Amino acid sequence: MIPEPKEKIWLLPESAAMNAIVDDIGQDFTIEIEPQPAVTITWFDTFDWRLYRRRKVLLRQNKDSWYLLRRPSGEEIVSLQGNGLVGCSFSSDFPPGRLRTVLEPILGVRRLLPLVTLDSSGVLIRFLNQDEKVVAFLFFHEQRMRKADVVFRTVKLRGIRGYDKDFKAVSKSIRRHGIVDSVSPFYALEEGVRLTGRCPLDYSSEFSITLKPEMSARQATLAIFRRLLEAMQRNTPGIIDDLDSEFLHDFRVALRRTRSGLALIKRVLPPEITETFKKEFAELGRVTGAARDLDVYLLYEKDYKSRLPASLRGGVEAFFADIRSRREIAQKELVRSLRSPEYREMISRWHDYLDSDDGGEASENSELPIKDLAGKIILRSYRRILNDGRAIKPSSSDKKMHRLRIHCKKLRYSLEFFASLFPPADIRTVINQLKKLQNNLGAFNDLSVQQEMLHQYLARLRPGSGRNQQLASAIGGLLTSLHHEQQQVREAFFSKFRRFARSENTGLYKKLFG
Amino acid sequence: MSVIAVYNIKGGVGKTATAVNLSYLSAGGGDKTLLCDLDPQGSSTFYFRVRPAKKFNVSKLLKGGKAVDGNIRGTDYPGLDLLPADFSFRNMDIALDDLKKSRHRIGKVLKPLRQEYDHIFLDCPPNITLLSENIFHAADHILVPLIPTTLSHLALRQLFRFLDEIGQKRSKVLIFFSMVEKRKKMHWEMMRLLIKKPGVLPKVIPFLADIEKMGLYRQPVTAAFPRSLAATAYGELWTEIEKHLDRG
Ligand SMILES: Nc1ncnc2c1ncn2[C@@H]1O[C@H](COP(=O)(O)OP(=O)(O)OP(=O)(O)O)[C@@H](O)[C@H]1O
Ligand SMILES: [Mg+2]
Repeated sequence: MIPEPKEKIWLLPESAAMNAIVDDIGQDFTIEIEPQPAVTITWFDTFDWRLYRRRKVLLRQNKDSWYLLRRPSGEEIVSLQGNGLVGCSFSSDFPPGRLRTVLEPILGVRRLLPLVTLDSSGVLIRFLNQDEKVVAFLFFHEQRMRKADVVFRTVKLRGIRGYDKDFKAVSKSIRRHGIVDSVSPFYALEEGVRLTGRCPLDYSSEFSITLKPEMSARQATLAIFRRLLEAMQRNTPGIIDDLDSEFLHDFRVALRRTRSGLALIKRVLPPEITETFKKEFAELGRVTGAARDLDVYLLYEKDYKSRLPASLRGGVEAFFADIRSRREIAQKELVRSLRSPEYREMISRWHDYLDSDDGGEASENSELPIKDLAGKIILRSYRRILNDGRAIKPSSSDKKMHRLRIHCKKLRYSLEFFASLFPPADIRTVINQLKKLQNNLGAFNDLSVQQEMLHQYLARLRPGSGRNQQLASAIGGLLTSLHHEQQQVREAFFSKFRRFARSENTGLYKKLFG
Repeated sequence: MSVIAVYNIKGGVGKTATAVNLSYLSAGGGDKTLLCDLDPQGSSTFYFRVRPAKKFNVSKLLKGGKAVDGNIRGTDYPGLDLLPADFSFRNMDIALDDLKKSRHRIGKVLKPLRQEYDHIFLDCPPNITLLSENIFHAADHILVPLIPTTLSHLALRQLFRFLDEIGQKRSKVLIFFSMVEKRKKMHWEMMRLLIKKPGVLPKVIPFLADIEKMGLYRQPVTAAFPRSLAATAYGELWTEIEKHLDRG
């Protein structure tokens, strides 16, 4: 491997003056000073830090250049220059090419959000040896954060392969000037983001919470609900601004988890609280459901177009155009609901309740240690799945499969609520087992949703024109193949379920949660 | 990834000028590039103001691996590294002759470097030697600067015959006209004669004072005078060559 050029970055203290430093080092080298053009840099990532999580940082420089860099080295992975790149938000907005190929699988449907913008100016110093060969570069950077009165000053030393001695010499002189705080290449960006109230990895769609076994059931339950409420609230602005479909999705997952929690964790909160909020959140589920269903339909659009012969794509286009306009309406209604005084009042009542120290009147299980209760809840959920799953026969109705899917979700949620109370490796095993079953049931459901959508479409398609007839038969063909696929998924269910319900797994549940 | 040897049996035809400028353009285009100076005169090394380490010599070069890695030098330009020449390279043929598989030695030395660089340029000394044979085996492309004179025509024929002899494809060879002087009628006539031949590129490098003076300012002309005629000519030549490179 070629050693990467050595690089070091330090914070430049207020007291340090560039000229003094350069003069000092200049005794051993010839020096060239070159002011660098001012540039504006904006850092982009998705709301849930998909790039940062994969050790990547995406920057837009001025209006026309994008750089994808590796973290923490700062090394370039790929860059792109050109006109018309200023407004890229989704991976599909980038022109086909390397950058887009790298971004697509990482971003998925998520939008790139600007995190922080810095106006950067600087001076480049070249150190030359007696042959007038450059042996090291020194960059003085001043990065001013937009909309905040903050300036980050750093100095970066970059060595050149084969000139290590010179790197060391310059580095030593720098230290002599009291420049000792070394920082990452992303120092200014990360600090800047902190000033905006966010910080890297501050949001993930995965649920995680650390509970202590000796916590009372009530304390733990309140903590779980608080975490879920926070997730709902954090996703709300993105829903209202209609940034991407994941905000509503994550919101609804947190909502479903909350509803499952209210149903599964019995006799811990006062009954009137449980009853009231079960109803409130069921209503919220309904209000947010319409927009989500249409979002899901739109996610199929690309796939369908690619499955149909080119001559018929136009017809499907109209269908999705219709879904898009229905989604516009659903979105407006959703925004209205989320901004309504009733909704805000309901959420703040829930908030107030969760923040109250005593959690209201005690119920039967409120003071139980959470670990005992958690085990019971998980086992109950597991048994339910065993019973329901065993009852499913090849001739059973689809409804039974769907119901089982819901129960699996509930088990998954309760495992995630209480994961921190049990040995992590065991929890991982248990969740992975469950995931395999959920994948099968998820695929089954996905195929149902698609068929339902296409049936809706067929129902609207006016017979008459020859093209519509062609289209109807193409859709009919699609339906047949989806149905066939669904049958296969269903056949696979039985072996997946047998694996899930085998005695070792049951034994593990008993050992962990019994 | 491709290894491009800049070669001509004849001396003083612009091999070094070509290797220096094209490697600079290659790196400037975002491809990690290495220029290996195989000529004991060390002109490429001189143009980049590099001095080889005292311990570096021909046997280190032919040993390859760490001995070579440790002697690669970064140039003043991002993405462009140089493996400097040493005067001991004048004994290259004797050193090669002493080794087993003496015809594939350079290829072997370059093999690990192929992983690390997008392009490797070889600035070759003139003549046909064991080193040239090594180079023809190792290179994916042999880039031949040709001054359009009758003599150069002969040199080309010699080169092809040699390639046939050692079982190398003639299609490896890319030819362009170098140091072309507009006023010389003979240049025009020779070019007209050769331009249709396979492997002859449609871009030429004229004889230009800015290139001639490279030894004074010791930089690629493409770096020192990016807007000059010379830089434009090398730019067009590189674009043309890139179309012919093996990608992958
Ligand atoms: N296109 C050109 N116009 C003017 N002068 C040139 C041109 N190309 C090369 N030269 C000059 O001609 C001389 C020989 O060129 P160069 O060193 O590139 O040739 P070479 O083939 O590498 O020579 P050698 O065989 O000695 O290695 C150098 O002084 C160089 O500056
Ligand atoms: Mg030369």
